[in-house]
Amino acid sequence: MQTYIMKRLLLMIPTLLGAATLVFLIMRVIPGDVALLIFGGDQAGHIDPKQLTAMRQRLGLDDPLLVQYGTWLWGVVRLDFGTSLWTGQPVIEELLIRLPLSLELALLATLVSVIIAIPLGMLAAVRQDSWVDYVVRVVSIGGLAIPGFWVGILTILTLVIFFGWGPPLEFTPPWVDPWANLSMMIWPVLTVGYRYSAVTTRMTRSTVLEVLREDYIRTAWAKGLRERVVVIRHALKNAMLPVITLIGTEFAFLIGGLVVTETVFTLNGIGRFVVDAVAHRDYPVVQALVFLIATSFVIINLLVDLTYAWFDPRIRYR
Amino acid sequence: MATNVELTHATASATLAPRLTLVEEVLKFARTKPLGAAGAFIILGLMVVAALADTLAPYDAYQADYALQFARPSVEHWFGTDEFGRDLMSRIMYGARIALFVGFTASFVGCSIGGLLGVTSAYVGGKLDLLLERFMDILLAFPQLILALAIASILGPAVQNVVIAIAIPIIPRAARVVRATALAVKENVYVEAVAALGAPQRRIVLRHIVPNVVAPYIILLTAQLGGAILAEAALSYLGLGAAEPTPSWGLMLSGSALSYAEKAPWIPVFPGIAISLGVFGFNLFGDSLRDALDPKLRGR
Amino acid sequence: MTKDVLRHRPLSTVLALGVLIGSVVAVTPTTVEGQETPRRGGVLLAAIGADAPSLDPHQEQTFATLQPVAPLYSTLLQIDPYKYPNVIGDVASEWTIAPDGLTYTFKLHPGIRFHDGSPLTAADVKASYDKILFPPEGVRSIRKHHYSAIARVEAPDPGTVVFKLKFPSASLLTNLASPWNVIYPKKYLDQDPNYFKKNVVGSGPFKFKSYTRGSTFEGERNPDYFVKDRPYLNGYKFFISTETSVRAAAVRSGRAHVEFRDLPLSEVEAIKRQLGDKVVIQQTPFVIHFDIAMNNTVKPFTDVRVRKALTLGLDRYTGARVLHPLTGLRDVGALTRPGTEWAMSPAELEKFPGFGRDAEKNRAEARKLLAEAGYPNGFKVVLKNRNIKLPYQDFAVYVIQEWRKIGIEAEHRPLETATWYADGRDQGNFELMVFPTGAFVDDPDQLLAPYLTGSPQNWARFSNPGIDDLYARQARTLDPAERRKLVIDLQKIVLENAYHMPGLWWSRNVVHWAKVRNWVAPPSHFTNQKLQDVWLSED
Repeated sequence: MQTYIMKRLLLMIPTLLGAATLVFLIMRVIPGDVALLIFGGDQAGHIDPKQLTAMRQRLGLDDPLLVQYGTWLWGVVRLDFGTSLWTGQPVIEELLIRLPLSLELALLATLVSVIIAIPLGMLAAVRQDSWVDYVVRVVSIGGLAIPGFWVGILTILTLVIFFGWGPPLEFTPPWVDPWANLSMMIWPVLTVGYRYSAVTTRMTRSTVLEVLREDYIRTAWAKGLRERVVVIRHALKNAMLPVITLIGTEFAFLIGGLVVTETVFTLNGIGRFVVDAVAHRDYPVVQALVFLIATSFVIINLLVDLTYAWFDPRIRYR
Repeated sequence: MATNVELTHATASATLAPRLTLVEEVLKFARTKPLGAAGAFIILGLMVVAALADTLAPYDAYQADYALQFARPSVEHWFGTDEFGRDLMSRIMYGARIALFVGFTASFVGCSIGGLLGVTSAYVGGKLDLLLERFMDILLAFPQLILALAIASILGPAVQNVVIAIAIPIIPRAARVVRATALAVKENVYVEAVAALGAPQRRIVLRHIVPNVVAPYIILLTAQLGGAILAEAALSYLGLGAAEPTPSWGLMLSGSALSYAEKAPWIPVFPGIAISLGVFGFNLFGDSLRDALDPKLRGR
Repeated sequence: MTKDVLRHRPLSTVLALGVLIGSVVAVTPTTVEGQETPRRGGVLLAAIGADAPSLDPHQEQTFATLQPVAPLYSTLLQIDPYKYPNVIGDVASEWTIAPDGLTYTFKLHPGIRFHDGSPLTAADVKASYDKILFPPEGVRSIRKHHYSAIARVEAPDPGTVVFKLKFPSASLLTNLASPWNVIYPKKYLDQDPNYFKKNVVGSGPFKFKSYTRGSTFEGERNPDYFVKDRPYLNGYKFFISTETSVRAAAVRSGRAHVEFRDLPLSEVEAIKRQLGDKVVIQQTPFVIHFDIAMNNTVKPFTDVRVRKALTLGLDRYTGARVLHPLTGLRDVGALTRPGTEWAMSPAELEKFPGFGRDAEKNRAEARKLLAEAGYPNGFKVVLKNRNIKLPYQDFAVYVIQEWRKIGIEAEHRPLETATWYADGRDQGNFELMVFPTGAFVDDPDQLLAPYLTGSPQNWARFSNPGIDDLYARQARTLDPAERRKLVIDLQKIVLENAYHMPGLWWSRNVVHWAKVRNWVAPPSHFTNQKLQDVWLSED
């Protein structure tokens, strides 16, 4: 097991390095000069070309590409992602302001989806092809089909038009004022969680179905064990592995959901920050964010794989 | 999404199952999987609307009638009109073209390129395989929407750029799945035997590996289609997709749709229904197709 | 206290006191509602649509910086919040202009303190203006060119500031009333001219309280403000929310009292329907217009007939009707705001290409001109634009629709802001482009600058020495009537030659709860943001 963990951790490094490089290249390829943009603003303005050059030099945009790349990599290693070109504040600071909201959103959405999805998926699998199964399948496929931002839009509209209620505009951490926090977060959480639970329901259903067909399940039936025991003790445990994998891989799906949901509900989180930073050509922020998202993604996948390997010894020795 | 384990079983068993004619397969599918048939029906309906939009749509998608801004749904305008007095139903019909174009093209391009890379990687093996696998791992480190977002903002708002932006994240995912299947097939005793008999590499690949990869490829394709349509809608909503006045469904939902909602609720409602219906159809169909092609579930 | 003092002083002192008080009152903004007694207390909650790139108004152009920061600072002069566009003093109590128009002497209020306790003196005014007029290396000054008439600024004593000009400037006082020209303490500017990008040390009615980027900006009452008994509010708080409908929902649900910039008419109507008398809607024009810049250096726009055809092909009057409920683009005018002293009368305007009332006749003429120029079947062209829906994209959609009627197929290409600037302003890499111009006040200098040869704002890249000459003359003409004639003549040249294609002038709808008192929406969302005299009738 130890060697497996070591091997996987080592493999992570070139992947992350490659991701960092790719992110760097992508941001450099984007047309549009950020110095110009900083001068730009709301209306057509007057720019002294000397001021523009001075700004570019200050921002390090005129350094050779390799130098910028080196600076970037060295910074990544030290967790120093530079300063935002748009606000002049350290990127880390900007990130930390917005991280709690996104983390809370992600965690709550995952929680909601797990609580809903696993029982539903199990139920549908156990009662396959019954009306329960069809309903669950249709609802969860529907959940996947309905665009997340549309659900968000409709939610806001309903709340505003029919209840005259607007969401709070400021994020209060749950330990400061849980009620204010909840009233801000509940609708985005439900929006993201609804789609996330659709995915998890389907996956739970199909893996439970597969497991139910396994020989050892048939043996359990033959032994005369009650349905509940069979399902929970044997099927569920083995079906959990792919579901855990799914939660890991669909984490990407969650991040995408964050971006869109935070935009719709104008939450001051990381998802919306990425969209804004891309629009501003704020290279350091976009690089840092995309890289960190990729890193967290890789780490979560690693954790999932390790969990899998821990449960299923066959995989370790591949 | 199908796991490697499922797909490997699918191919291995596919070579051994009895062959039915295509028509018989289709009818059997419609009989045993009514949900899938419903999905196929929706897809076909959308394709018909998209293809025949010129005849079916009562108005031009860009034609503005300033006297009828925000008109309620009526006999002249079944879905009402938008802020410029353009007929919403016509715009949604033409929007089907964009949704299907982006959906099909992006999935097809992404899955094909990815599939090609996967087969090559699996078959050639060695250094190339390692290199490709590493590169795919790097691309896979990025969530699909984030990568599409970054690419779309490089390229600028336009329909063709959206296709590229959505196709690129699909490539590594397709490559990974196809590679796993191709590897399993390659190690299949049957193929080894053929190779031992001296069959040329190209024939092995084309005659033996590729046909067995087709089933997972189709599953992959249909699985990605719904996602591609959603991605196009999301990117257009964020302002990175098709530009005004193109009748893209996602674009119709962005920005002022919320502001006009109380005055003209049909403006945010109908495009959303269209998107949901499209993705729903593709998902239903894809799901049932996968169930049908996966022999482990075939028994029931 | 006053009574005891008066008993022992001669009459002349009493009179002097009276005059002094009178003159102070004369230069302090008068309230609109004299009847009600303003209530003290409360925190004003406002929704704002963007986050500030930095906190230094000298270096920024966006309302996202100015609105949150304006209450924290003072300026030398200001536009009277209740009598636009009169110029009154803020830090300046009175001023005199030399007969030759080359020297302006300002006297400052005594006893003004910055929030850190240090006194505000002429040296600080001079240092702040030096930063604007002669920015040091690495410091932006976006509006530097508005002050080309100023030779230097002097501070002969702590209470006096003198501006020396190179030539007489009719717009000087208006430009000095710019809300962007906040007064900073000299000592921090000396340390670091970029100090105020992240820090706030002002002398305004409110002090800085907190700023969470992307989220909120708060200020609290300054108890030592130099205008006695002001401000009435205990503080203010801006909530940053980029989605228009969320801001509208915030005002509607009462989470915000006001949105200071603009909300779409449909949202405003919905709010009014739901809340009735509890809200007030103020509609004012912006001093901003949205036009189409035709690249005069690129075929076919080198040909005046093609340019005229394009402007003839746009029915502005119908456009105003159609676009007003969607975008606020409402008024038809040339290069200065219609209805002001600097604009020609509607009857005069109608004589110029594109401004006639008969749209069909205009279109027929457009087609004829195109045929003459060699394009009997029209042509294809690309219209570049900024990637913002309101009003940029909706304006373009309308214009494109109109041009189709004369055979011109324009492809709409939205660009990210950075690329839009690069293509438009710097490289001229476009055929047609949506181009806004505006100012914080109706000042001909600012509004007409884009039409000068070589101006960075002259995206259309045309040159006419007649225009340059008229501009220079109007800038120096102190007599308003004479200046008006020059301003209008300048516009006539632009319109006759169709160098540039004016579109529509913008207007805005500001909604606020009725309990927000004593705030008047001026034509610019940059002015009257100090909140000095605003009060809440209830919390």
